Amino acid sequence: MNARRFRLPLTAALMTLSLLGLSPAVADETCQSPFLPKVTGQEDYVYVWTLGVTGVADGNDSLVTVDVRPGSPTYGRVIHRAPVRGRHEAHHAGFTDDRRQLWAGGLDDSYIFVFDVASNPAKPRLVKTITSFVKDTGGLVGPHTFYALPGRTLISALSNATDGSGRTGLAEYGNDGKFIRTIWMPKEAPYGYDVRVNVNLNRMLTSSFAGKKNYMRPFGELTKDSEAMKAFGDSVIVWDFHARKPLQILRVPGAPLELRWALQPNHHYAFTATALTHQLVLIYLKEDGTWATKTIADIGENIPVDISLAPDDSKVYVNSFMDGTLRVYDVSNPFEGKLIEQVKLGEMANMVSESWDGKRIYATNSLLSQWDKPGPYWLKAYAWEGGKLVPKFTTDFTAVGRAHIMNFGTAAPIVARGANQIAQRTRVR
Amino acid sequence: MTRLRRWRPLSSLVLLAALAAGPTSAHERPPAEEVYIQGDFTPRFTPPAPGTYELPAITRVGSFPVLERGRALRTQALLAGKIGVVSFIYTACSETLGCPLASEAMRRIQHQVAHEGLRERVVLLSVTFDDVLDRASELDAYAQRWGADRSLWHFVRAPSEQSLEAMLAGFGQDRTKLYDAHGRFTGRYRHTLKVFLVDQRGAVRNIYSTGFLVPQVVINDIKTVLNERGPDRLSPEEPR
Repeated sequence: MNARRFRLPLTAALMTLSLLGLSPAVADETCQSPFLPKVTGQEDYVYVWTLGVTGVADGNDSLVTVDVRPGSPTYGRVIHRAPVRGRHEAHHAGFTDDRRQLWAGGLDDSYIFVFDVASNPAKPRLVKTITSFVKDTGGLVGPHTFYALPGRTLISALSNATDGSGRTGLAEYGNDGKFIRTIWMPKEAPYGYDVRVNVNLNRMLTSSFAGKKNYMRPFGELTKDSEAMKAFGDSVIVWDFHARKPLQILRVPGAPLELRWALQPNHHYAFTATALTHQLVLIYLKEDGTWATKTIADIGENIPVDISLAPDDSKVYVNSFMDGTLRVYDVSNPFEGKLIEQVKLGEMANMVSESWDGKRIYATNSLLSQWDKPGPYWLKAYAWEGGKLVPKFTTDFTAVGRAHIMNFGTAAPIVARGANQIAQRTRVR
Repeated sequence: MTRLRRWRPLSSLVLLAALAAGPTSAHERPPAEEVYIQGDFTPRFTPPAPGTYELPAITRVGSFPVLERGRALRTQALLAGKIGVVSFIYTACSETLGCPLASEAMRRIQHQVAHEGLRERVVLLSVTFDDVLDRASELDAYAQRWGADRSLWHFVRAPSEQSLEAMLAGFGQDRTKLYDAHGRFTGRYRHTLKVFLVDQRGAVRNIYSTGFLVPQVVINDIKTVLNERGPDRLSPEEPR
């Protein structure tokens, strides 16, 4: 495949980068689509897409609202639960580009649930269920990442209906719920997991995990099956975003999962972590316009799962499943990850999300229904105080389900801004 | 070999244009609440060449009644047989990354459409969110401010709130009126910036928002749609 050549020399980019230290942090909360308006200050709610558990509440998957407004009488507590009918392996969810809807997927039967989060932000309401994902897409299974594009949602899948392996692709749906197209992964790198766009470079990255016959299999059984353990992805693909065409396949062994583009405009790199080989990996643009990877830290044999990036690109947060630990790496020099903080969160630590202002961290602890250990299940909040991560609250999910992905909400209307940022950026250019 | 190009930042020109234009309206409107940002965008790429990629239909839009300088007509009549670039704005919008950015992009697209000999095949259409305050005179002044060639770039308003809402729903363009603490309408709207590329048959083929509203991308997309061969390509299947 032809890698595109970039004219901007890396040295020039780095010079600009240092100048940009003057500009304010411009990011989101913090790893959302660049097409999504970002919550700039204190989030009001954390929406948690939650696995249903037999005998717990009504047993259904649900979208749970946790009140995170400091000073609120219900701070740190579940204030609403919007159940769907049945259990579908609730996993990931994402807003549409107008933040009016939250799309949430089930990895087992590939159902997609669309919640209205605009009419009453504290109480999301299920407004649509798409049950035809497999048929619409010509056989994709396991809708994973929901990523806002203008007027539509880009969805990365994990598997396919033919053999349940990791061969899969991407799908696009309009915000009205109508299917638009399917893009299969290239044969040389058939697996899928996450998808993320760098809009300034017109580049898209996809990562790779495993098919349904692996992710829906009991964890203990799976790990003893050496053949099945070979069926995990080992690549990150660089795409031309606008053309939706793969440009370069990067070999990243051991199931690279979440992708996080650097948030500062002149930082032409991204991070991922490999679940099976427990490496924190930098994906960076070289001077010749091609992309390369470098392992920048070994997380230890703990199955790193979710990662989150600080708004100024200075830190990567890594949650690991086996030892239930949040590790914070200083990546001010992106070519070298330095461990600067560790917090023992508790069993099965999984998702981690940072606020836009870089002050607050939220974590949950469920991975997959067949891989989790017995509870307890929770959402935990931390804040940076005096250079340390200090616990703020724990929301007990034991009576609700198993908490997985978190998305931040506010009660305030959406109005784009950016004049200050643009003025400052113009000045330093 | 495609090379990276550093686009002149659209947004900085918008700032200059907004400053040069002075007050945007006689109507006093309070500043917007700064809860969200749209991002910081400096496109640095050469868009893929026309015809090297596909633009499947995202949705179809119907024909809507509009008023242009008091003349009643339908959008279908304005767009008939041409590629439409459709933008929703209101003249008093002062959000840098909102309507001024959209209109600056439209101004550049207008220039490039004319420059590349596409003016017989393309129509630019700006529709106001504010069918009450944006009368013909406001739209005329706005068009003049952005240097619109009115034979190519049309400015219209819906004849009623009801027809505006139908049009917004048809395009999938959000708009929410903002009210003050006393429940009074502030004259401001919450909306995400979207510009729509509509093909000759009324299918939306691309949607551009703040981060990807690059005029050269829009021009290449126009050429991609114009260069499609065969009836199937000119008439993409109805999305399921």
